[in-house]
Amino acid sequence: MKKEGFLYEFKKNKALFAMAAPAFILVLVMQYFPMSGLILAFKEYQYNLGVFGSPFNGLQNFGYLFNSGTGWLITRNTILYNLLNLITSQLLAVVIAIFITEIRAKYFKKVTQTVILLPYFISWVVVGVFVFSIFNYETGLINTMISSLGGEKVNYYMMPMAWPIIICAFNAWKWTGYNSVIYIAAVTGVDGEINEAAEIDGATIFQRIRYITLPSIRPTLVTMVLLQVGRILRGDFEMFYQIVGNNGQLFNATDVIDTYVFRSLITNPDIGMTAAATFYQSVLCFAIIMIVNTVVKKIDEDYALF
Amino acid sequence: MKKKLVAVLLAATMSLGLLAGCGGSGGATSGDAASSGSSSEAGASGEIDTSKEVELVMYVISDRPAGQDLVDENLNTLLKEKLNCTLKINWIGWAEYAQKYPLLFSSGEEFDMAYCAGWLGFANLAQRGAFMALDDLLPTYAPDNYAMQSESALQQATINGKLYAVPTLLPTYTTYGSIYRGDIAAEAGITGPIDTFEKVEEFADYVVANHPEMEALDQYSAGPELSLVWTRMNGLMDVDSNMRYLFYDPSEEHPTVKAIYDLDGVTEFYQMCKEWCDKGYWSKSALADTDSQKTQNGKAAMRFHNIDSWSGVCVLHPEWDFQYGPMTKDIAHLPYTQDCMVISNTAKNPERAMAFWNLLTTDQEVYDALYYGVLGTSYELNDEGQFTILDTDLYATNAMWAARTMDLNRNQAGVPETYDTLRQEWEGKIKEGVGAEKFTGFVMDTSSISTEVAACTNARQQYGWPLELGYTDNVEASIEEYKTAMQAAGIDKVIAECQKQLDAYLESLN
Repeated sequence: MKKEGFLYEFKKNKALFAMAAPAFILVLVMQYFPMSGLILAFKEYQYNLGVFGSPFNGLQNFGYLFNSGTGWLITRNTILYNLLNLITSQLLAVVIAIFITEIRAKYFKKVTQTVILLPYFISWVVVGVFVFSIFNYETGLINTMISSLGGEKVNYYMMPMAWPIIICAFNAWKWTGYNSVIYIAAVTGVDGEINEAAEIDGATIFQRIRYITLPSIRPTLVTMVLLQVGRILRGDFEMFYQIVGNNGQLFNATDVIDTYVFRSLITNPDIGMTAAATFYQSVLCFAIIMIVNTVVKKIDEDYALF
Repeated sequence: MKKKLVAVLLAATMSLGLLAGCGGSGGATSGDAASSGSSSEAGASGEIDTSKEVELVMYVISDRPAGQDLVDENLNTLLKEKLNCTLKINWIGWAEYAQKYPLLFSSGEEFDMAYCAGWLGFANLAQRGAFMALDDLLPTYAPDNYAMQSESALQQATINGKLYAVPTLLPTYTTYGSIYRGDIAAEAGITGPIDTFEKVEEFADYVVANHPEMEALDQYSAGPELSLVWTRMNGLMDVDSNMRYLFYDPSEEHPTVKAIYDLDGVTEFYQMCKEWCDKGYWSKSALADTDSQKTQNGKAAMRFHNIDSWSGVCVLHPEWDFQYGPMTKDIAHLPYTQDCMVISNTAKNPERAMAFWNLLTTDQEVYDALYYGVLGTSYELNDEGQFTILDTDLYATNAMWAARTMDLNRNQAGVPETYDTLRQEWEGKIKEGVGAEKFTGFVMDTSSISTEVAACTNARQQYGWPLELGYTDNVEASIEEYKTAMQAAGIDKVIAECQKQLDAYLESLN
């Protein structure tokens, strides 16, 4: 069969092309044209020469990430934190979504859902203040409780190992409610008749969740995870910066690429070096999403993103 | 197959596209070209043609006061009459200046003047071609200002052989010292200024024992100042205000640049910091505390900073009788580029801007209108010519700090007399070309070592700050750790470059 050319397609589906055009142009202008700025990662930026006039300087801009050996550490931290956060917040979101849809009491259901969603609207700056008032040594909530019970105060700001848990907990606290909204939609979308039939056949609530609800929301789950994996090298700057702040003792356990770049360049901003960091993140993100998508495709083609 | 390849490429570019928020401004304007032609337009006497009305645009860093419209209107009436121009002041708020300020110059936006300073990266921006060269403009259009500039001020504003800024005419000093609650010192029976670590200890011990509601020494997340005080007490100078981990001794004939952990007596110093921390002079979670106003709000009894911070708190809380203990052995002027005015390389009216600057720095009426606003509405003067801002919710002094001069600037009512006497005393002590003063003209160019400097900045914060706040169990081991981290970050290359430039500077003096 002869394949028809693009022009033929265009003539045939003029209306469709016209409808797609605004979105296409928007993506082109907002996402693709700015990509030319990536060239800055390999340039020594001069204000009077502009983006394209500035001289190239090879890979020099990447130096500060790797020369001191921190590049590997912060890359590892970023990936591990994102994995941990991905697992906890998605898992909790699924659990909460199922829990909320199973609740029959209307008011309790609404109130619970609202309370869980609320943290999403609290800014990290405020959360940072919470964290300080809970964990600080002299007047912190935990230490005041410990000392009033006669115990020895704990200096959390000198205990790097405590922070992955703290950060993960706050991340889950903030995002679970928001993520669960999507899963609630998916769970509610499951055909009620199947559940009714299972109930009549004598399935317990856990059997219904295990064999009906979970398999039904699997596509949603996979898509959500894939979307998150695409951002695995991007640390949530605000969260890390507001929770950890300038506590040097914690950096080895809490530094992600974004905070490291911010700290290194805050006194001496350099557009080329910042571009280099994002370039590095993007290339790795791209590699990871391609690998994960291929794996998913191997397992079940329908679940892959593309 | 082909289709698949296209899909892959598409996906690749898509995911890359997520990052490329900052796109290109191709506005390639050359500062040199713009300035070279300008001098010919001036008459022989430097008179400027003001027949055409222009609007000058100026950027300053501070939050815009709510009542600024009124102040602007008043100033513009005055400027219209004197120079046939108006001034539009754009304010960049404190919350956003770090992101926005560099973008001013990369966005290609057209504006004439901006406030600049060492802490805003003056040298860095100048090297990267953000400003218009002023070698001809300043003497031609601002002759009175130019005549008042000192040799070393002009030298500091000169980067790569070109003058890129109009330095301030108000000298500031390298003196760091203790700002402390005089009422508490009197209570503790301490007389005379607290200007040694022994006296600080005596004061802090008293605060810890008798005022548990406040911190003895103000420390917060922006990092400790103790090492700077310690080095200043020993007469050392920091190579650059952005690299306060490298010091040299200006009294030596050929000073060597040393990292802080290689200085004599550093172990004892850090040991002292640890003792102070253990005694509870400051919080064990200070680096997580973002409250920068503890001293002025009565939550801390002492902090280390410069004399202007001291006069600021004096005005706010006269009842606490704030005192100042200067703790600097070898006093020098701070670089005059500490506050300076730059002309953007996108400026439309650099000539008029310079003429305006000349007027501003020589005419009391214009200066008052810009800096304090409208007499009787936004500020009032007392018999000694000191000002008071009338409604601080509506008005504030202008943030163009570079416009201040010795003659025109007014003290705020409530600033203690010692403020002036101390400054006069320091001015008398400074000898041109001797000791620390010899090095005020030295400007470090970090462009060839920016990679290493970035890594060192980070290592200092990660290992140096905790050490300085005594957050360690073993001081010597922590110093070792600090040293290793700095070496991995490339400190040796940074030191070598600083040494090279310092030697070259000394060479140029002879």
